[in-house]
Amino acid sequence: MKSLKFIITLIIILYFQSCAKPVDFDQIDDAEIEANYILSQVYFNLKALDILDEYNNEIEFKIKPIQVSINNATQKYLDKIVFTVVTENSFDRAFNIEIVLLNEALKPIYTISPIINILPNSNETVVTIEIPNSEIDVIFNAGFFSFIVQLLPSNDGSVISINNTSELFFKSYVKLFFNYKTE
Amino acid sequence: MKNISFLFFLAFLIGNGQNKQVLYDFAGLPQTLLVNPGAEVNNEFYFGLPLFSQIAVQGGFTGFSAYDIFADDGTNINLKIQKVVEGFGKSEFVEVNEQIEGLSGGLRLNEKNYLSFGYYQEFNFLTKIPRDVIDLIYEGNSEINRPYSVRNLSSRAEMLGVFHLGISRKINNKWQAGARAKLYSSALNISSKHTKGSLATIDGTNNIYEQQLNNIKFLFQSSGVLINDTDDLSPSYFAKKMLLGGNLGFGIDLGFTHQFKQQWTVSGSAIDLGFVYNTKNVESYSLEGNFKVEGFDLNFDEGNPSDYWNNLKDRFNEEVVLDTINSNYISTRPLKLYGAVNYQFGKKLDDCRFEIRPGLYSNKVGFQLFSTVGSVHSYLAATLFFERWFNKYFQAKVTYTVDPYSFSNLGAGFSTQLGPINLYLMADNLLYLNNIYAVKSANILLGVNFIFYDKY
Repeated sequence: MKSLKFIITLIIILYFQSCAKPVDFDQIDDAEIEANYILSQVYFNLKALDILDEYNNEIEFKIKPIQVSINNATQKYLDKIVFTVVTENSFDRAFNIEIVLLNEALKPIYTISPIINILPNSNETVVTIEIPNSEIDVIFNAGFFSFIVQLLPSNDGSVISINNTSELFFKSYVKLFFNYKTE
Repeated sequence: MKNISFLFFLAFLIGNGQNKQVLYDFAGLPQTLLVNPGAEVNNEFYFGLPLFSQIAVQGGFTGFSAYDIFADDGTNINLKIQKVVEGFGKSEFVEVNEQIEGLSGGLRLNEKNYLSFGYYQEFNFLTKIPRDVIDLIYEGNSEINRPYSVRNLSSRAEMLGVFHLGISRKINNKWQAGARAKLYSSALNISSKHTKGSLATIDGTNNIYEQQLNNIKFLFQSSGVLINDTDDLSPSYFAKKMLLGGNLGFGIDLGFTHQFKQQWTVSGSAIDLGFVYNTKNVESYSLEGNFKVEGFDLNFDEGNPSDYWNNLKDRFNEEVVLDTINSNYISTRPLKLYGAVNYQFGKKLDDCRFEIRPGLYSNKVGFQLFSTVGSVHSYLAATLFFERWFNKYFQAKVTYTVDPYSFSNLGAGFSTQLGPINLYLMADNLLYLNNIYAVKSANILLGVNFIFYDKY
């Protein structure tokens, strides 16, 4: 009988002791998760043949618009977009590379700035381009993007010959900075 | 927001696995036959209060508790989230089980045989989450050359009704054995398993980085409910499916009790050795392949323009093959194994106080092992217990369990008998009663029976 009383007393103590230390579920409003995702982007290797037309005249050229598919569901959490471009140029000529975003009707809606300037005879060069938060909306409205590669004129008037073995390497990736917050 | 928080809290509160460590071999309750059909029961007949003879809710999350995140301790919630992510194991799992007995009854056929039968409804859900997936969500994929493995990312959910009929037979004074046949009627079965492979971003050859899906393998199976057609789902739909209108299956439980010395007993059982043959509303998908991409290799040939995006999509679909499978499939039930050894001691029971109750001693101490074995996840739990028969009206059991949720799970249960009315209640993780938000798992089991003994 003593044991029974002990058990009943223990249960009563446990019952009255049972409680919860303070918690605040509203803290969830302050919760943020910052995650960064890398996506490989375009790359190319440009040779003399690519810069000359059939008459061996230097040309400015565009890549045919590339379709993009961006999921709008993540837009509200995307905080920042940073493109990283690595170039290496053995031509003795400078290049400008312009990345233009186009809408579904193939009309330009945004040019990523700054324009990438590649110096003549330059070793591996890293350029980062940040798309600020205020301009991210435009990215999500894009249906296509296009590359415009412009060969800048030489200082001495020389031109690239078809036998030139120089190359321009262009590599890139994008880093998406997400900041997930509760609503 | 508060609703989300509350659901978040509930997900933690409704917790622990399928281990019914307090119920196992406790107080001669009829429900012990559901965890060991070879258990000893000494009543002449019983029936459970319909829908209330056993209500069991169990579940938990091995990763962290609600208190770990929401403690009002002045620490920024993001630091607390970071801490729980850092403490996340190689893989953790979340599990919810619910079982309600609709009908339950039993009767002694003769001196040796006891027949029990009934129907219960069961829902269980388990998801196993590997650490790498958490890192991918929490940090992203920017750690170069690290393979993020999706191995062990798996899940299962099932809702079914179980009709059962079992017999417990006293073979001699030392041996008792039993078996139970079960007819399953499944309303819902979903599983993803055999998940393998990894995602990685590595240094590239032509571009800065190359992104890879390596040896990706994934199998998703579902039946009972069409994933893309849930408009007509209602409680009555599920009820009908669980009453022989669903996918049918068969299983057995086996168990024994052996008194190998006067005060020593060993027992064991295997529960749900069975399967469901899924033939109705079956949808299955398998995904398998390897894929590598360095980005878009720009083509400057105006006369031969590339359709980069569609080419990439086409190559992905060729190399990572998604198959839709409409064939029937067999799903096995998660098998539960119990084993126990106990020693009885203390004051010998006398006829006056205990009359027809079993055993000769008032105390029982022992050790139990529990294991669940399934295609999605398996685990082991060990329990020390002490059971005391205070008198014929009141029995209690205390357990201390080590399981994947906790190394200090204190459980307790009692059973009372007032005339033919039997009431029992069991719960575990009682050490967390002073802060229920800190509990990683919980297990509550209660019920009402009408039990009739010889001398009533």
